[in-house]
Amino acid sequence: MDMYTQAAWLVPLFPLAAFLLLTALGRGFRKAGALIGSAGALAAFVLSLLIVVERLGEGAVDYNNAIDWIAIGDYTLRIGFEVTNLTAMMLVVVTLVSFLVNLYSAGYMKNDERITVFYGYVSLFTFSMLGLVLSDNLLSLYIFWELVGVCSFLLVGFWYTKPKARAAAKKAFIVTRIGDAGLLLGILLLFWYMPDHALDFTTIQSVFDGQSGAITTGITTLIALLIFLGAIGKSGQFPLHVWLPDAMEGPTPISALIHAATMVAAGVFLIARTYDIFQDSAAAMETVAYVGGFTAIFAATVALAQNDIKRILAYSTVSQLGYMMMALGLGSLTGGVFHLFTHAFFKALLFLGAGSVIHAVHTQNIHEMGGLASKMRVTAWTFAVGALALSGIPPFSGFWSKDMILTAAIETNPLLFVVGLAAAFCTALYMARLFFLVFMGKPGSASADAHEAPAVMTAPLVVLAVLAAAAGFVETPWNGWFGSWLSGEAEAAHGSGVAIVASIAVGLLGLYVGWLIYGKGGVSRKAAAERAPWLVKLLENGYYADELYAAVIVKPIRTIGSVLMVVDEYIIGGLVRLAGIATAYAGRTAARLQNGQVQTYGLAAAIGFVVLVAAIVGRRFWP
Amino acid sequence: MLPSYLTMAAILFCIGLYGALAKRNAVIVLLSLELMLNAVNLNLIAFSKYGVVPSLTGQIFSLFTITVAAAEAAIGVAILIALFRMRGTVNVDEFDKMRR
Amino acid sequence: MSILQDIPILSLILLAPLAGLLVVLLLPKQRSGWMKTAAIVATIVPFLLSLWLYADFDKQQGGAAYDEQLSWAEIPLNKELQNGVSEFVFKFQYALGVDGLSMPLVLLTALVTAMAALAAVHVKKRWKSFFVWFLLLETGMLGVFLARDVFLFFVFFEITLVAMYFLIGIWGYFHRERAANQFLLYNGIGSAIMLLAFVLLVNTAGFRIDQAGEQASFVYSGSYADILRNLADPNAWVNLSPDQLGGVNPFQMTDAMQWTLFIMLLVAFGIKLPVFPFHTWMLKVHTEAPPSVVMIHSGVLLKMGAYGLLRFGVLLFPEQVREWAAVLAALGVVNILYGALLAFRQQEFKLVLAYSSISHMGIVLLGLAAFNEIGLQGALFQLVSHGLISALLFLIVGSLFERTGTTELAKLGGLARSMPFMSGVLLTAGLASLGLPGLSGFVAEFLAFLGLFESMRWLTALGVVGIVLTAAYVLRAVLKITFGAQREKYGALRDARLVEAVPMIVLLAFILLLGCYPSVLTDTMQTSIGGLFEQLLATRAGG
Repeated sequence: MDMYTQAAWLVPLFPLAAFLLLTALGRGFRKAGALIGSAGALAAFVLSLLIVVERLGEGAVDYNNAIDWIAIGDYTLRIGFEVTNLTAMMLVVVTLVSFLVNLYSAGYMKNDERITVFYGYVSLFTFSMLGLVLSDNLLSLYIFWELVGVCSFLLVGFWYTKPKARAAAKKAFIVTRIGDAGLLLGILLLFWYMPDHALDFTTIQSVFDGQSGAITTGITTLIALLIFLGAIGKSGQFPLHVWLPDAMEGPTPISALIHAATMVAAGVFLIARTYDIFQDSAAAMETVAYVGGFTAIFAATVALAQNDIKRILAYSTVSQLGYMMMALGLGSLTGGVFHLFTHAFFKALLFLGAGSVIHAVHTQNIHEMGGLASKMRVTAWTFAVGALALSGIPPFSGFWSKDMILTAAIETNPLLFVVGLAAAFCTALYMARLFFLVFMGKPGSASADAHEAPAVMTAPLVVLAVLAAAAGFVETPWNGWFGSWLSGEAEAAHGSGVAIVASIAVGLLGLYVGWLIYGKGGVSRKAAAERAPWLVKLLENGYYADELYAAVIVKPIRTIGSVLMVVDEYIIGGLVRLAGIATAYAGRTAARLQNGQVQTYGLAAAIGFVVLVAAIVGRRFWP
Repeated sequence: MLPSYLTMAAILFCIGLYGALAKRNAVIVLLSLELMLNAVNLNLIAFSKYGVVPSLTGQIFSLFTITVAAAEAAIGVAILIALFRMRGTVNVDEFDKMRR
Repeated sequence: MSILQDIPILSLILLAPLAGLLVVLLLPKQRSGWMKTAAIVATIVPFLLSLWLYADFDKQQGGAAYDEQLSWAEIPLNKELQNGVSEFVFKFQYALGVDGLSMPLVLLTALVTAMAALAAVHVKKRWKSFFVWFLLLETGMLGVFLARDVFLFFVFFEITLVAMYFLIGIWGYFHRERAANQFLLYNGIGSAIMLLAFVLLVNTAGFRIDQAGEQASFVYSGSYADILRNLADPNAWVNLSPDQLGGVNPFQMTDAMQWTLFIMLLVAFGIKLPVFPFHTWMLKVHTEAPPSVVMIHSGVLLKMGAYGLLRFGVLLFPEQVREWAAVLAALGVVNILYGALLAFRQQEFKLVLAYSSISHMGIVLLGLAAFNEIGLQGALFQLVSHGLISALLFLIVGSLFERTGTTELAKLGGLARSMPFMSGVLLTAGLASLGLPGLSGFVAEFLAFLGLFESMRWLTALGVVGIVLTAAYVLRAVLKITFGAQREKYGALRDARLVEAVPMIVLLAFILLLGCYPSVLTDTMQTSIGGLFEQLLATRAGG
């Protein structure tokens, strides 16, 4: 009946097998890399698709299964998998994007000498991400959560000879680790407060149902915030967003797969998975909403002033993830997950398109590009689709999900609604800027001998473009199918006219302004730089977040380290030396008694003996 | 009877100790050592006769000690002769080789 | 019943290296190849034996079936005979045993030593005496974990000291003699305190009464089982006040005595662990000793301190540990943070690893301080895990130094190009060290934190901060070595040879196994820790 669902644990094993095979084969088999990697992802995708198709019918039951991992006393930590509609959806998204990226990389990475290593890492990542999605409890989720982090680290630092890549990889790992530490503490807290120390999502759901009161609100809030800290790190939310733009040092297909479509969305997925905890705590929900909203507008403004095509997209990702968080915080689980779903397609599309451009022009500076539309038709068209979807123009997918979030905002929190609109405006503006500077206008210095990418790279673009255009129709204001499928309850279709009109309006306005400045040239591009140079500078440097961290955290830690080094060397080490010196001194003093006279020694021995005897005899008279 | 034997042995021992520690002449020092050993022998025999649990062990042990003392005296005198050949003196104050 | 219960398997494990030592002694001096082979075989035999024992280890019995006991010497004590007691004797005995606490460590010792023997091919001079000391060291370490008599324990403990002294002093680097002296001085102080504590312990609690019909003999010995039974039993003489025993009780162990003993043991084993601020001796050893010896030192010898603390501290004096849990936890957190912060600033890779060991031993302290089953499992798991990881790291350091002639971070870089295999292993070992799930370090950290969290929230939170710092210093050092532009002079370096690759792969395999399926280890520890612990708590609570 639900045969495929029960076999869901096989899904991650395909990429794992691919990884093991690639590792065992080593670098020699260059051709095999793409083949094995893609085959693993394809097999996983097919199975995932079968699972979803199986679950499309009414009343699909959540299925889980687990094995013992560690037994401690009376309690056993278990590792298992669980298939719900949410995880099934994530499975398809992850495997599909992974498969397309595998395919795309066959062209993009063709000339890299470590291509098999690359495919090995990608397969390992796909395995970990699928494991994360399928996990049935927080502990195993955390395990895979860390594993995707390390894969991201490995792939960001893939071109390890570049010092920038090394720094970026390190930064990505350490910054996300801060969030991970929070998540770990959250898990510890949960473990000791949950009845029977259960960590699986089913029990969490039943305990945090808003009425059982097994856990006090204060603790609930604390747990939720600690989990959210993990999500902040992974999903690049303010203030831990700094690693994501730097992570663009990795190969572009990786940026599409890990840093746009899947891993960074894991934070959103985590909150969606533990949503019951958040719903029990109003304070936590508000925090999530405000952090998300702030990140959305914050990153969108920074994206306006960036000149590196990938960094623009990276900040855009941060901003869109902020959107998802905001949706979750506003109580719209469907909105957040829906945006995750559509965003995965159009952002992967944009990154892969950007990769295609970089492949052709060998630079990432958008000012050196220009007029590429005529030379790279497929890339330009598909990129346009992605840009429109991201800007929230109907009928492309981004519009529907963004609209849903704005609808949720207008109903509950007008302030965040305004923030969302402003962010949407900035989004449309920077996408217009990006599109016009890269594809329109006069050919730039680097676009002279640009040419369209090979079919193996354009095919994924086309597939993603179709999805980016059409995926939004699963949930529209008049058809709540996606939401009800996801939550298992019939959801009333809802929509707000104001939100729809406003969101279309700001989207179009942003595109129009962008066109005015960068397309038609009606407004001087330099206008902002001339009037408020400090503002441009501020945005270009991402509000100096990196510098702030360097001054507030990195520097003090270094200083403490240096101080402690001195302490260790001179105070603690000094004590050791003192012990040594004291011993030597005592030895020298005692050596003076050593006059070589046997009789002196004998006398000393005799006196010692007498003292001993006196002591033993004297003890009798002691009380 | 026991106390008088023990007193006698103690006196002998103290004389021996004094001689071993205070005399300059190495030969006298060796003699004093013998004196101390004999004081011990006296104790052993006294205990073997008048002890709480009289047994033959003490006497056998004293025979043993005498043998060891003879061997010790032989070695001691041998060392002394070697030293005398080297340093030309039997004054123990001069023998401070152990210092280095 | 298995065949292992019929043969003196523990003695075989213990004596195998000694047999190898004799063979090495008899071999002619120039035959370094023979000597190395003999030494490697002599280390692999106990490894295989202990692997067999581990597989056979009957979890239900907690290993009692393998106990071996031989009387070594008996000294009649001249004590006034009391009613019914026919004689007083003091027994020195040769008593060996394994339980869930020592079994994993025996296996770890055998494994790490075998791998270190393979790594010892780098030794350049005086092979014969090197391997003699080396095998003696292994005997000592195995003895420490197998001994079931405090004096036997002490003897083996001292054997490792002497062997280490010569191994550092003769085959070390530039400042080897200083390092060896400092090692001996510091550990000597620890040993002295330990011996004193043992003597006091045996003097008060190390007795049992053997009843044989009408006759009863009163036996003093260093038997661990006797001491444990006496201390744990609320009705034993040791735990009764004079009033309860009719006015006089010369056997009573007063609270003051218990505290004195506990603190003495804490200091003695704390030096070995090492606990801040007793750690400085270890830095010198890490930098100056030859790599194969550091593998053992950091992989096994540090664990002896923790093992001693666990066996003699926690199990014998649970009340004191419970009262001092906060102190232990605070020391653990200080270890973690202090080690991490200092590791972050070091310019020498070996020092980074040395401070990282300090940081990781902090986790052991946290596990002990947790004073629950989860925490103790975490502590023990960390011992095994850190033993494997640090052995692997120093194995790589040895191979690296062999090729580049330096381990200073500033002089290294970009080695991933010329040595992809070794860099990969180094990176994986680094990730294991920073507690990546799927590798053994994570399980240990998680269990320790989980255990401690029950009683001490804030200290745990502070300790968790350590995992971020750990990530920072490990990546800083590892990436400095492997990533970045390749230096020209390192262009021609060759990757790991087979004899280097084999131990790396074996250690890595164990790290992976423990990380992916920790039950392999926890099931073995479970019975002993759970059993001992519950029994302790129950009897103590009853008394």
